[in-house]
Amino acid sequence: MYKAMLNFEASPAEELKSFLEEKLGNKIKNIEIRARTAGKEEKVAFHDLWISCSKDALIELVDLLSEFDFPIFHVISGDDVGDCILLNYHFSLFSSAGRGKRLGVVVSVLVPKNELSVPSLYDRIPGIEYSEREMHEMLGVFFESLPDRSLVFLPEDWDEKVHPWRRDESGLSSRHIRELS
Amino acid sequence: MAEENKTYTIPIGPVHVGLKEPITAWLQVDGERIVDVRIRPGAIHRGIEYMARERNPIQVIYLAERICGICSFAHIVSFVRVVEDATGIPVPPRAKYIRTILLELERIHSHILWAGVACYTLGYDSAFNLGMLLREKVMDVLEAMTGNRVNYGVGTIGGVRRDITPKVAKAINEMLDYYNREFSYFYNVVTEDPIVKARMRNVGVLSQENAIRYCAVGPTARASGLRMDLRWSSPYEAYEDLEVEPVVPQDYLGKVHGDVFDRFFVRVMEVYQSLDIVKKCMDGLPDGPIMHEPKPAKLLSLLKEAEGVGQSSIEAPRGDDTHAIKLTKGEENITWWKVRAPTYANAMSWPIMFKDQEIADAPLIINSIDPCISCMERMLVVDEKGSSTMTTKEELIKLCRDKTRRLMHR
Repeated sequence: MYKAMLNFEASPAEELKSFLEEKLGNKIKNIEIRARTAGKEEKVAFHDLWISCSKDALIELVDLLSEFDFPIFHVISGDDVGDCILLNYHFSLFSSAGRGKRLGVVVSVLVPKNELSVPSLYDRIPGIEYSEREMHEMLGVFFESLPDRSLVFLPEDWDEKVHPWRRDESGLSSRHIRELS
Repeated sequence: MAEENKTYTIPIGPVHVGLKEPITAWLQVDGERIVDVRIRPGAIHRGIEYMARERNPIQVIYLAERICGICSFAHIVSFVRVVEDATGIPVPPRAKYIRTILLELERIHSHILWAGVACYTLGYDSAFNLGMLLREKVMDVLEAMTGNRVNYGVGTIGGVRRDITPKVAKAINEMLDYYNREFSYFYNVVTEDPIVKARMRNVGVLSQENAIRYCAVGPTARASGLRMDLRWSSPYEAYEDLEVEPVVPQDYLGKVHGDVFDRFFVRVMEVYQSLDIVKKCMDGLPDGPIMHEPKPAKLLSLLKEAEGVGQSSIEAPRGDDTHAIKLTKGEENITWWKVRAPTYANAMSWPIMFKDQEIADAPLIINSIDPCISCMERMLVVDEKGSSTMTTKEELIKLCRDKTRRLMHR
């Protein structure tokens, strides 16, 4: 479990990028730094970092991020991309470090459908619980070591074999959808 | 003995007088004390993210607006910002300022509404009515500016659809004078009331450490002493040109309690902050166009050619509102879209706030994060009489009418 403290000193996105590349090597790829502008003069206001990471390196990557700051978790977004399920973990670093210092970090993980499980981050970041349960019910991803895997948004009597966001046969069929007009 | 430790489970919700919106809290109580709580959302799913897969980005703007009635503009701005991030469509400076003004007006109306409802939950109806009276002014300005009191229909990709005319500018300036004159009265009446303080102090405490670990956002996080505000830590729109500091109780009161009173205090101080931001934006409002591409058909063809993923987090009245999107080249409709409304994050902290509190404080604690359940739940698909336990609306109406008829024949 992380020491729950926010860091008041921010590191630049480039430093984080080269640190991660050095530590993780080919387990991560396509680190993209996006400068986000704002204001009248379109000045660079803050940065976002997009990282693609292999499933096995997820925990290691999040632990490395936490050496910089407690990764404040936003949400997991996801999609069914054929043979795999794509999960994007949205984090924030340096939220308390000063004006324009926050760094948005998006970690993309591809999970193959024939082995649809990822390690849970629940014991590191308890705030992740609803998102992991949501991805479990909506896309059928199994989160190892997540204590509660019950439905969170779907009704009590929902057939748990049906995952509404899947685009294959385990997704919705016409009997689930009511067209209103 | 085991008998002595027996607890009972009491449900609050999904529909309850103390709640503004449907959610169920299963409280485990030992006498009057809450021992544990299990939260079960899911009563108000509309499947918005699923519906969006069959709509183009311009149609989804209006869908995003309907995620929530109170913070509808915050959802729009977050949505158009993800599309702008994914496609690289620029926004003219004047549009950025108008967006900022609208976001702050919305914050004023949301915070005053919440403060009023918090008083109502306590049984302090005079303050509730005073709050509602104050809120009317900002609603009038929003109506003058956009034509609607909620769901303004003003945001679009690459700009805004309504300009600030001299008449609207006058209404905004009048509103600023009104609040600077009248709002402190409401604030003083509530915060100086000993009963309000007794009901709110040390109730529903969320410690700083738990606020971080459970990823609390917005006024809930700030009331626990976290200096976190996206308008400050990652300025978007016009906030880059404005000095916005996070409002934290330690700066004003010297100490953080992280309780319901602090959450009340932070929201009230943010009303003053928003008034200040609106004034600065009005003073520095740049000239120029308000849209990058005024023709919707041209904008749509531009969007159809776009390929990419985007994310955006903005500070909505209740906290950080995160959207993410994927657009695929050649596809008119959006591929996927994810919304994380602030209540989704703050609901994780509820069980901690409930620990060892009294049942009578439960509605106040639930309301203290300013929950917006319809924001939080969007992704269910309507089941067509899916199971025998489910009653359709038509059946309910029939049952209801039958009962009326039975009473008529008596």
